[in-house]
Amino acid sequence: MSLVRRVAVRWLEAVVRNAPPACREWATGMLRELDYVESDWAALLWALGSTAAISRHWLRVWRTWMRGGNRKEEATMKETAMKVGGLLLGVLMAAVLAVGAYGLMVLSFHLFPALEHQGVPWPAWLIVIVLPETLFVLGIVRLWKTKRPMAIGILLAAVILGTHFAMHIVNHFAG
Amino acid sequence: MKIRLSPQTLKVLEVFLEEPREWRYGYDMSRVTGLKSGSLYPILMRLAERKLLETEWEANEAGKPPRHLYRLTPDGLQLARESRPQQVQMRQRRTALSGAEG
Repeated sequence: MSLVRRVAVRWLEAVVRNAPPACREWATGMLRELDYVESDWAALLWALGSTAAISRHWLRVWRTWMRGGNRKEEATMKETAMKVGGLLLGVLMAAVLAVGAYGLMVLSFHLFPALEHQGVPWPAWLIVIVLPETLFVLGIVRLWKTKRPMAIGILLAAVILGTHFAMHIVNHFAG
Repeated sequence: MKIRLSPQTLKVLEVFLEEPREWRYGYDMSRVTGLKSGSLYPILMRLAERKLLETEWEANEAGKPPRHLYRLTPDGLQLARESRPQQVQMRQRRTALSGAEG
């Protein structure tokens, strides 16, 4: 399979995965047709056109809903809103936990000044990274099956915090 | 529910009318009508929403994923037949245009 066709297939697979439930069957149908498009560039155009078709349909559903559309469309919109809300709530919870961990570090340095002045970063790392990341992992495992959007939100925050910490470590040892 | 019969929609209905009881594939429809997927599928989706088009998944051949099939419902066929004069008019316009260009 050529690179262009591979891009077209991967692209349309991503569209199918992320398409709203009301459009997923159509998006899958468009993806299946891709195997029968002879030229690779035509396959890429097919994939892009299909994306436009799904987006247009979704926009129309959204507009209808904004004007007080039917119950099925309303249910789809509600489902999407719930997912986005769950994801944001997950991020917010993780952020609150990270800020709490930072507060705990400041408090522990205040109570035990020796920790801060002995030049060893481990206590701080333990409190601001290991503790929250462990809680994030536990939360993700616990919520993955029942409240997946929230779990994804926590995962997102965990990755951001982990990346920030990795950059901090690199700077620490490089400096 | 009223559906806007754009020249593209008329073209799609015309193709479905050629063999009204046959199921058709999306890509084949695209080739016959000359419409890109970005134009063809919104028309098919609108027709399906208004119960003028029915869809089905092809019975699975060994090792091949099923394809999505489309055909007009009785209501869709009625609309397609009622819009025949418009289809003819559109075809004549197309012919006249291509004649003028040639």
